[in-house]
Amino acid sequence: MMVPPFLRENWVILLPFALGFVAIYLLLPRAGRLRPIWGGILAAVALVLAGDLLIRTEGFTVETLLFYVFAGIAVVGGGMMITQSNPVHAALSFAIVVLSTCGLFLLQAAPFLMAATIIVYAGAIVVTFLFVIMLAQQEGVSNADQRSREPFLATLAGFVLMAAIVCVLHKTYDTSELDQIARELQAIAAAKNEAEIKGLLGDPLKAKEGERTLEVVAKLREQFSDPREDDNIAHLQRAWLLMKVEPLKAKAELLLIAVRAKRSAQGSLALDDVPGKTNTPGKLPAANVAALGRTLYTDYLIAVELAATLLLIATMGAIIIAGRRAGELR
Amino acid sequence: MNPANPVTLENYLIVGAILFALGMIGFLTRRNMIIMFLSAEMMLQGVAINLVAFAKYRGDLGGQVLILFILTVAACEAALALALILMLYRRRKSLDVSLWQEIREADQEPIEDEEPLPTPPKPIDFPHMVPAGTEPPAKKESEEASHV
Repeated sequence: MMVPPFLRENWVILLPFALGFVAIYLLLPRAGRLRPIWGGILAAVALVLAGDLLIRTEGFTVETLLFYVFAGIAVVGGGMMITQSNPVHAALSFAIVVLSTCGLFLLQAAPFLMAATIIVYAGAIVVTFLFVIMLAQQEGVSNADQRSREPFLATLAGFVLMAAIVCVLHKTYDTSELDQIARELQAIAAAKNEAEIKGLLGDPLKAKEGERTLEVVAKLREQFSDPREDDNIAHLQRAWLLMKVEPLKAKAELLLIAVRAKRSAQGSLALDDVPGKTNTPGKLPAANVAALGRTLYTDYLIAVELAATLLLIATMGAIIIAGRRAGELR
Repeated sequence: MNPANPVTLENYLIVGAILFALGMIGFLTRRNMIIMFLSAEMMLQGVAINLVAFAKYRGDLGGQVLILFILTVAACEAALALALILMLYRRRKSLDVSLWQEIREADQEPIEDEEPLPTPPKPIDFPHMVPAGTEPPAKKESEEASHV
């Protein structure tokens, strides 16, 4: 059978999504639903596979561990929220999702946003939901909680969307070339004498006329097209041709730093040297609240005023709508 | 090797996408209006993760400002939506969104419930006995004579 090349290349990424699709479909409330343990086991396997295959992190630091914990709890809470029959359990699962999302905010240098989201979402919105659930109680077991509309098609649509987004993200943020160059440069920097360098890169005296340029140098020239690194790359090439060990290792280390910086900034979409731009990519001001206040009240002033008006109108609207008695509607 | 950013941008975007898609599944699938609305709020959380990640990796606070406004609008939306859900509940005494199918498009078939919940058995109408015995006769004249 002809397997489309897309599936052949990406089946590793699509596997956790296929398992997750089956898990969520089994867990959604339906007539004759299987015991939730089966869906739960499949979902756990899908989550572990997703954490292993999809998330590409480098090194194991505290930040990585916290990211795994918060992201895992968020996804598990989300899955629990859409599959619970009892709306109170669903509201509490949503509170768990909000708390773990706030943890991710904290990892991304947004402490004020973390506090504001906990206070507004988990503190006010979830409590309002619980009040409304209390006021709108349905007697006994009801159709609204025990049945779903179109579970198969909806789950299929959701997981196709997820898989499409993640496949595009994997293609965009692919760092395998930079990783390869970094490994070669690290091997050069760690080499101790001439013999090892000749073993890694080849003997310059024996290279033929057309092969004088190192592979590593060619790849580096491809990646770093701006002129700041050209000197270093040219010096690396010359040091190899003249077989000078110490300058070669020094240049290799400098280039390794540049390659690592480029890899860290791989997803930053940073604009270099834009006039008037004070922030550097990857660094947010440490005084988060002060800087947020400054941008809110200078750059986004009109939006703040409009948001205040919106809040006022929404409050009035909610009081007017929910304050009517049922008899007055006729 | 301890790089500056061990968790790159892509990982946060993946988590945001997963939360967004799970919220979409919940919104399309569930029939309880409150859980539908909670799923919509979870979609907003997924978008918020994306915005915060881009704010950090570009060094621009605009992403965080946008999340503050999303928070504001979500609070207003929650207040109004829950008020409307309460009104709908008062009409039909149920939070089921399938009861409101008369507002669908003109050329769409209504969605029938293929496996409705089993209805509870009606209470059996037991026969009632006629009360036995006779009523005592009215004793108005003797009571009036004794009270005087």
